[in-house]
Amino acid sequence: MKQNSVKKGNDRQSRVSRVLIYLILIIFVVFYFLPLYVMMVNSLKPLEEIRSGGMLNIPLVWTLDPWRSAWASAQIGVDPSGLKPYFINSIIMTVPAVIIATILGSLNGYVLTKWQFKGHGLVFGLLLLSCFIPFQIVLIPMAKLLGIFGMAGTTQGLILVHVVYGIGFSTLFFRNYYAAFPTEIVKAAQIDGAGFFRIFSRVLLPSSGPIIVVTIIWLFTNIWNDFLFGASFADFDSIPMTVALNNLVSSSTGVKEYNVHFAGAILAALPTLIVYIVSGRYFVRGLMAGAVKG
Amino acid sequence: MASVTIQNLQKSFSSVEVLKGIDLHIEDGGFLVLVGPSGCGKSTLLNTIAGLEEFSGGDIRIGNHSVAGLHPSKRNIAMVFQSYALYPNMTVFENISFGMEMQGVEKKSRTELVNKVAKTLQISELLNRKPGQLSGGQRQRVAMGRAIVREPEVFLFDEPLSNLDAKLRIDMRTEIKRLHRRLGSTIIYVTHDQVEAMTLATKIAVLKDGYIQQYGSPYEVYNNPKNVFVANFMGAPAMNLMDGVIKKIEGEIEFQVKNSQGDVLSLPVRKIKGLSGYIDDKVICGLRPEAITDINVFNSEANDEIVKRVVQVDIVEPAGSDTFVILQLGKKEVVARLKGDSRVSAGEKVELTFNLSQVVFFDRKTEERIR
Repeated sequence: MKQNSVKKGNDRQSRVSRVLIYLILIIFVVFYFLPLYVMMVNSLKPLEEIRSGGMLNIPLVWTLDPWRSAWASAQIGVDPSGLKPYFINSIIMTVPAVIIATILGSLNGYVLTKWQFKGHGLVFGLLLLSCFIPFQIVLIPMAKLLGIFGMAGTTQGLILVHVVYGIGFSTLFFRNYYAAFPTEIVKAAQIDGAGFFRIFSRVLLPSSGPIIVVTIIWLFTNIWNDFLFGASFADFDSIPMTVALNNLVSSSTGVKEYNVHFAGAILAALPTLIVYIVSGRYFVRGLMAGAVKG
Repeated sequence: MASVTIQNLQKSFSSVEVLKGIDLHIEDGGFLVLVGPSGCGKSTLLNTIAGLEEFSGGDIRIGNHSVAGLHPSKRNIAMVFQSYALYPNMTVFENISFGMEMQGVEKKSRTELVNKVAKTLQISELLNRKPGQLSGGQRQRVAMGRAIVREPEVFLFDEPLSNLDAKLRIDMRTEIKRLHRRLGSTIIYVTHDQVEAMTLATKIAVLKDGYIQQYGSPYEVYNNPKNVFVANFMGAPAMNLMDGVIKKIEGEIEFQVKNSQGDVLSLPVRKIKGLSGYIDDKVICGLRPEAITDINVFNSEANDEIVKRVVQVDIVEPAGSDTFVILQLGKKEVVARLKGDSRVSAGEKVELTFNLSQVVFFDRKTEERIR
């Protein structure tokens, strides 16, 4: 009887603490989502409604005009072009950079774990070091190099910069993943007569799904969101989305169109958001796979 | 099918010498087991034969050809790995046919061969599964299938059974032996399990510290160990090694060992001539557990190398088919192997038979055999 009442007490206690935990979590979620909510509701309001206050209110008049304007007709710098051309700039910069950095990273990881050469540790260490060099330090030398290569102000130049910076992390990811991949399998493939690239493409790569996703998410987010390199190295026709967004917000034609700015900001964040939602579950899985065994 | 000859093979990793001059010859159709403790170089030796590692000196010949510098896939070998090393992304069928695909064998004949091999290994119904969906034993079969389908001159096995549970291991052991009989191929097999070595081999090479300690048939290695290491390594339970003194009493040589009470137990030694140089010296006496047993097992009347002695039983370990009795002799535990139905109890004094026809002696310093 006594034991039973103790148990009941424990039950009540655990229920109370559980409610408390959820309450705190919910508060954090609300807090975290508040900015997105503000952006969302205000991007769907006419400008007058924003100016009359009530930033947290649901729109009285729903409108998609701010979105249309941000996409196609808003003033960016001197052009009333909207964000569309810059969105496309960002895509043609980000996609090749991500693909190239991922391929090079996976090859690096493959060589560093399965075809080890003298000094492989040093090479890996140097590649890792590149992850920790602040962007600002390389701005001037990089500008100089791009000039020498004749790539100054071009999208190719930006791709090169992002690939160079991306290789460090992509190599780290793949190296750790392949370190856990049994070397005996590579030996078996050698005996079976597969060469360097065949072993890579037929045996390792098909087993690398999770880590490819992790690398792509990581690189895509970083490259898409980069502002500094875009602002420093891009010319008029290669300006990426982030820089264009800044220009949108700072080019004023009298009134600040907050609703258009909000819509533009969401547009700029949309691709990374989609990448996360589509492949986010692999992200955790892939990071774990590398972390536990690597 | 081919013989394998290894001449003065050396291998070092930077400054560490792993193989220090290995000489081996295994005849066509032979089953060579490389056995030794971990770190003895046996897996390295296998890898150099496979071509997965280069050797630094000496030569390896498969058939009549030196394979130095030859790519693993060109050596006419197949290897079964400890972890099975199946390609995780491919089905069983693709795993087995991958090698042929790399050699450019036509798809039709590939399918035919895979089906044939799958049938002999009884894995036909698994062909469309991925390795992740197979049990340990099934993976093992697939790994063997991948080796067999290559129709190699030499099979290399690298501890293929050590990831299986005890019962399956014994089943697969029999299976490998059956496979060897059916294919008649040359096999080189690495293990640290001396029972596997004894049961499978036609020839055993015992390795330690990069040297071959002894190379011979299982019978030779078991009954005529060259040194203390081999004597101790082969056999389960291991050979009893007792410290004692050689005495010459009335013209006959005897080995004397003290029991736990300090009393002397003396055993007559007849045939080992080398011992005459060790009179009044300490030596190590090696006697297999099965040579110390119940009094009615051997007929002591006819043979003066079979003697009866009273000993004090320390511990009794019944094991069903046998009863192991542990005694204290020469400050060491000595195991006697009695019949399963022997009734002895701990602390008791019993009379046991010592069969000294297979007794061996070792020098205490060099640990080499005294013959």
